[in-house]
Amino acid sequence: MPQNRWLSWLSPLLLVVLWEGAVQLGILNRIFIPPPSEVVVALIKGLADGSLLADVVISSERIALGFLIGAIPATVLGIWSGLNRTVYLLVRPLATMLYPVPKIALLPLVIVVLGIGEVSKIATVALSVFLMVVIHTIGGVMQVDQRYFEVGRLYGANQRTLFRTVALPASLPAIIEGWKLAMGFALTLIVGVEFVGASNGIGYRIWQSYELYAIADMMAAVCLIAALGWVITLGLDEVERLLVPWRHTVKESRMPLLKKWWGAVRPWSYTAAIVPVLLGAAIAAQQGGLNWLWLVLALIGSIAIQGGTNLMNDYYDYKKGTDTPAVKGTGGALLRGEMTPQQIFWAGILAFALGSAIGLYLVSVTGPFILWLGLCSVAVGYFYTAGPFALAYVGLGEVAVFIFMGPVMVLGSYYLQQPVIAWPAIWAALPVSFVVAAILHANNLRDIDTDILNHKRTLATMLGRSGARIEYYVLVGGAFVSVLLLVALGLAPWPTLISFAMAPLAWRLMRTAATEEAAEKLHPVLRGSALLHMRFGMLYVIGWVIALWI
Amino acid sequence: MQAAPIVFAQAGLTYPNGVEALADISLTIATRSAVAVVGPSGCGKTTLLRTIAGLERVSTGTLSVAADATRAMVFQSGLLFPWMSVADNISYGLMTRGVPLAQCRERARVWADRMGLQRFIDAYPHQLSGGMQQRVGIARALAIQPDIVLFDEPFAALDAQTRLLMQELVCDLQRQGVCGTMVFVTHAIDEALIVADRIIVMSARPGRIIADITPQLPDVPIAEKRALPAFNQAFADIWAQIRSEVELQMHEGVR
Ligand SMILES: Nc1ncnc2c1ncn2[C@@H]1O[C@H](COP(=O)(O)OP(=O)(O)OP(=O)(O)O)[C@@H](O)[C@H]1O
Ligand SMILES: [Mg+2]
Repeated sequence: MPQNRWLSWLSPLLLVVLWEGAVQLGILNRIFIPPPSEVVVALIKGLADGSLLADVVISSERIALGFLIGAIPATVLGIWSGLNRTVYLLVRPLATMLYPVPKIALLPLVIVVLGIGEVSKIATVALSVFLMVVIHTIGGVMQVDQRYFEVGRLYGANQRTLFRTVALPASLPAIIEGWKLAMGFALTLIVGVEFVGASNGIGYRIWQSYELYAIADMMAAVCLIAALGWVITLGLDEVERLLVPWRHTVKESRMPLLKKWWGAVRPWSYTAAIVPVLLGAAIAAQQGGLNWLWLVLALIGSIAIQGGTNLMNDYYDYKKGTDTPAVKGTGGALLRGEMTPQQIFWAGILAFALGSAIGLYLVSVTGPFILWLGLCSVAVGYFYTAGPFALAYVGLGEVAVFIFMGPVMVLGSYYLQQPVIAWPAIWAALPVSFVVAAILHANNLRDIDTDILNHKRTLATMLGRSGARIEYYVLVGGAFVSVLLLVALGLAPWPTLISFAMAPLAWRLMRTAATEEAAEKLHPVLRGSALLHMRFGMLYVIGWVIALWI
Repeated sequence: MQAAPIVFAQAGLTYPNGVEALADISLTIATRSAVAVVGPSGCGKTTLLRTIAGLERVSTGTLSVAADATRAMVFQSGLLFPWMSVADNISYGLMTRGVPLAQCRERARVWADRMGLQRFIDAYPHQLSGGMQQRVGIARALAIQPDIVLFDEPFAALDAQTRLLMQELVCDLQRQGVCGTMVFVTHAIDEALIVADRIIVMSARPGRIIADITPQLPDVPIAEKRALPAFNQAFADIWAQIRSEVELQMHEGVR
């Protein structure tokens, strides 16, 4: 019930308000206990100068590595011992013996053996994760109801099939439970490890702030690690929902969170947001090193803007009542009552806010050129469907997309890394321009009949069906031809030719576009074009990356 | 196609913990016949089915079942795989035998239609009602076109109305000839009379055969069948046989 959900936010909110009030009124000493507002300022400062984020990244890396190194062999070994008596007798006693030892107590020993470096930190986490996961996995496999094995055997399953269809799925819930607990351990442990023997990471940050008596900084770091824990928990819950779908379908009749929002924000459309940013960075990297933080921020920003656009489109479509229940995406989710319009709207605003904040930050560190690019993009985005001269409705949609989701984005991402306006980056963006325009055009080609009825003037309706088909060939073919030309002219390195691996996909799409007329038959061409953009674009980027080494 | 009947000869079964579940069972079940087994709780009915299924071996005497006969069982507690969709559960026995996936899917669809489950083909078992779950269990058993189908009190946990529907379903399936040789264990005497032509009555533990009845009932709709004097006569006969055994079992339970 939504009311209850709001209620559950009330007590933390109240706590924050009381805390702030108590400090402002002087009841609490702000030297020892800074108010939430100061913590927020410290948090923003730390995030803005990148140092706090860098610490989170380092700690996350340690956790992730330690978790994978511990959990993967532990899961395999655990399943094996659950099924095989001999292995069980070998593994179980050792695991139960070591299990209760507080792993942090072993850190000095680990340091003696492995040194004080990165390895010992990861090893401590991995060891703890390993033990936790082994024990839970063994338990999980052994508690499987034996009758299921009987049923399997009765219905003709051999040993291998039994493993795949009974042992594994039946023990999976317990195994994942083990992963979750182990992850909680890893999080606690990494902070402890970083307190003692580290010169970076979030635990180190907390400890150092304490020693400097920078309590606000310390709390900001604590907030961040709490957020990290929260994100990890959510992530593992999602993993569980994906791997163990049969357990959740009744308990929570709602769709898995991720799946719901997945449909809402349409990540497959992000290929248009991601590929140009990666391409710009890859081209810039040919000239020298990369600023990874800025690249990541640019990616997040670009994705956020794209996501916000998708969400807002759905919101307004819903308001205007143009969507039907068949419509995929949030429009559909809204109509099916899985999400409220308010949720969509605010998620959209949040995404835009995030995108703009990142954009402004990048402007502040790299100069006004990015700002101009951004403002132009916003203007085009606005005039795309709004205003008296809506680009999309006078047949200029493809042109706008061609320019802005190709050269402009690539140049922007390039400029972040190498602050010059480089023509080679613009030329190199052309293949991506062609495919992204092809996506839009596939949409218009599909809707050509209804658009003609509604007097919507797209390039497709202006050209007519056969002309529109030729346009699709030109756009898809243009992508490949432009790669060839760029390589021939020395404007792109020869490894980018691996993008031709997508020629068969392109060929299939063109054939479908050539033969089909019905909208539902042409819909796969739209999805396929987006797929082509992603695969072709990524291969093209990978070509540029390979060129860094040869 | 298996032609040999199922033959028990002075068969007995004692579990490793010393419980003697079956004693001196001599019984021949003809191919493609429909036999019901009734008896008090804990008398060894499930054990009897498990020996036919090959999940348990008789410890004395012999049991012969054609070695190549495919066997399927519908379990007392369903025992559907909770992690598989209805479709995957139904086609499980086909999948294990290497039937291509597309064909499995197709067979599952056919059986789901037949069982009135078409709308639930992608659901998980826990999303179904008890009656639907048992229908999936029956579909899983019959999808492999078994030579022998063993039903172990499949409807015991269902409400009375659903139960009537399910009995009709089993009778229909039988009439369509998809059940092969059928052995149907039940607590309910009327159910036994409806689904089978021949009824075996077992004693309290260790289970022995105390009566073997073949009531001659005409092949009429179930509702009419229940109203026949012959039906009631057979019911009374069987009850008379079984009553003392149930009482015995009850007293044993008290003691
Ligand atoms: N695996 C086993 N090991 C030991 N004893 C068993 C085993 N399975 C069943 N028994 C015992 O054998 C006896 C017969 O069991 P069985 O399950 O065959 O009875 P049943 O007639 O099917 O009973 P119900 O009507 O309650 O299902 C019971 O006393 C039971 O406790
Ligand atoms: Mg039983």
